[in-house]
Amino acid sequence: MEESYTTAIRLHGVTKQFDGASAPAVDALDLEVPAGSIVALIGPSGCGKTTTLRMINRLIEPTSGRIEINGVDALEQPAVELRRDIGYVIQQVGLFPHRTIAQNIATVPRTLGWDNDRIRERTAGLVELVGLDHAMLDRYPDELSGGQQQRVGVARALAADPPVLLMDEPFGAVDPIVRGSLQNELMDLQQQVHKTIVLVTHDIDEALKLADRIALMNVGGVLEQFASPDELLRDPANEFVERFVGEDRVMKRLQLATVADLPFHQGPVVAASATPVEAREVMRASGSAWVGLTDRGAFLGWVHGPDVHDDGPLTDAPRSLPAAQVGRDSTLRRAMEIIMTSRTSVAVVDDGGRFGGVITLEQIRAGLDQGPEVIAA
Amino acid sequence: MDVTLAQAALPREISLSEFLFSAELWTRDDGILDTLVDTAVLCGAVVLAATLVAVPLAAYLAHHGRGEIAVTWMVTLSRAVPTLAVAALLVPVSLRIGLGFEPWPIFIALLLLALPQIYINTYAAIRGADRGVVGAARGMGLTESAVLWRVEAALAGAVIMTSIRVAAVQVIATEPLRAFLGGDGLGRYVRDGLGQNSPSQIVGGTILIGLFAASTALAFRGAERLALPRGVTRLSSNAT
Repeated sequence: MEESYTTAIRLHGVTKQFDGASAPAVDALDLEVPAGSIVALIGPSGCGKTTTLRMINRLIEPTSGRIEINGVDALEQPAVELRRDIGYVIQQVGLFPHRTIAQNIATVPRTLGWDNDRIRERTAGLVELVGLDHAMLDRYPDELSGGQQQRVGVARALAADPPVLLMDEPFGAVDPIVRGSLQNELMDLQQQVHKTIVLVTHDIDEALKLADRIALMNVGGVLEQFASPDELLRDPANEFVERFVGEDRVMKRLQLATVADLPFHQGPVVAASATPVEAREVMRASGSAWVGLTDRGAFLGWVHGPDVHDDGPLTDAPRSLPAAQVGRDSTLRRAMEIIMTSRTSVAVVDDGGRFGGVITLEQIRAGLDQGPEVIAA
Repeated sequence: MDVTLAQAALPREISLSEFLFSAELWTRDDGILDTLVDTAVLCGAVVLAATLVAVPLAAYLAHHGRGEIAVTWMVTLSRAVPTLAVAALLVPVSLRIGLGFEPWPIFIALLLLALPQIYINTYAAIRGADRGVVGAARGMGLTESAVLWRVEAALAGAVIMTSIRVAAVQVIATEPLRAFLGGDGLGRYVRDGLGQNSPSQIVGGTILIGLFAASTALAFRGAERLALPRGVTRLSSNAT
């Protein structure tokens, strides 16, 4: 994660005291959301995460404090205008049941007075962006599945291309399989649109998966830790954070990082044109009983040390052992599983059909030790 | 001369089919047709006035979440208001301020019948609009009046229309009381039938009232389909 960034949303000493409540729901909260990043607000019930979110678009008015959005004081602006620049996605989706999908998506553009051609063009583009069929534009929300409705909700929030997107437990109401694919789609979408997203969730795994930074809040609206997912897992600020993220912190860290995050490692691998002497030298240097052969970037397979003979090219040696392979986008956890079940204790990185180095348990452990410099979340 | 007087004082009993299908009875001055129009105008005025007062007021207060206790009271009281007694009590008042026997007493009594009905249903339907939908609308930057009229009222539209229809039918079914308070309207045939001991007129009058109420209900249903956008009507057809 880059250290210098522009702040899109800045909360300064934001407090919300509801009428008749003995303690504030959110207490002097300071929070900075970097532009173009996803920040997850998470915590137990009553931690004020939803209240915080709804103060950003002023569905709830703060009792005191300052909220700045892209340099503008949000509390000085008329609330209605402020909200038209902020996409809003909620768990119940909240699609207008009496309007077609096209009409739903066009809500904010219509309010802003776009002409019909521009609205039609935008609507068609958005439907594609969120992976829905054009035939759905004339349907009504109740004719769509929960997952499709949620996609429409995202399309509607993005309609007027707002720089900021607020999402309140957006995937809480769909089943786990749909939730997983919607999460993946959101990450792909974010690659294309680069919005500043604040996301409320109660699911730590969702936060770890989606967020660039996680704000872990405690009851009464107290911020316990604000850090990247890897930092939160590697270095919890206190016992509350430690308990909240759970016991399997190491496994979760492995789940966060991918093979691509580790530095390239050649391993005991030589070109198929190398001499047997060179092959033995590589095996000796790495303490391996196996040597891998590559030919013009492609991995050919493993050759067992005793099978390497001086009288002939390396390619004559039998390569019976199937290579354990991982992709560059596999998680380190998956890579670990593959290494554990491989006889060579090494997995070959398949970089789109080309040899991308090898990966070992030792490397994975080194990655965990070094933290986010190596394992970028 | 004597014979005519006797006939006028004691009209011969006519059959039910004669009463219902005699062209002369329908079309003559002050005949059934005129009476029907008379009734329709009064009932129409009552329902229109009730709608124009109740719907905007209830919608506005429900949107802002005010006056919930008033609704609770209205639910209880509206059941207890005796329309006939109210109209009868209003007759001397109307006479004293020079408005005559009618139609103001019955108008006000019928208004008290229709208005709470429409008010209560509108209030409940607006309050009951899906909070998620309303929250999303507000969060997208719709103005408060757009949230009320384009979202909440649209979601409540079918219920509001139904409550107006039911109120209209009740008003038509209750309006015949007018004939017993010095007025006319379709109730006159029942009144006259009772006075003249003529079952044909009592039954015929009742049939006319029933048919008028039923056709009004049908006309309202047709108007609902035409007036409400497709998205709103399909909501109510999905619900039933």
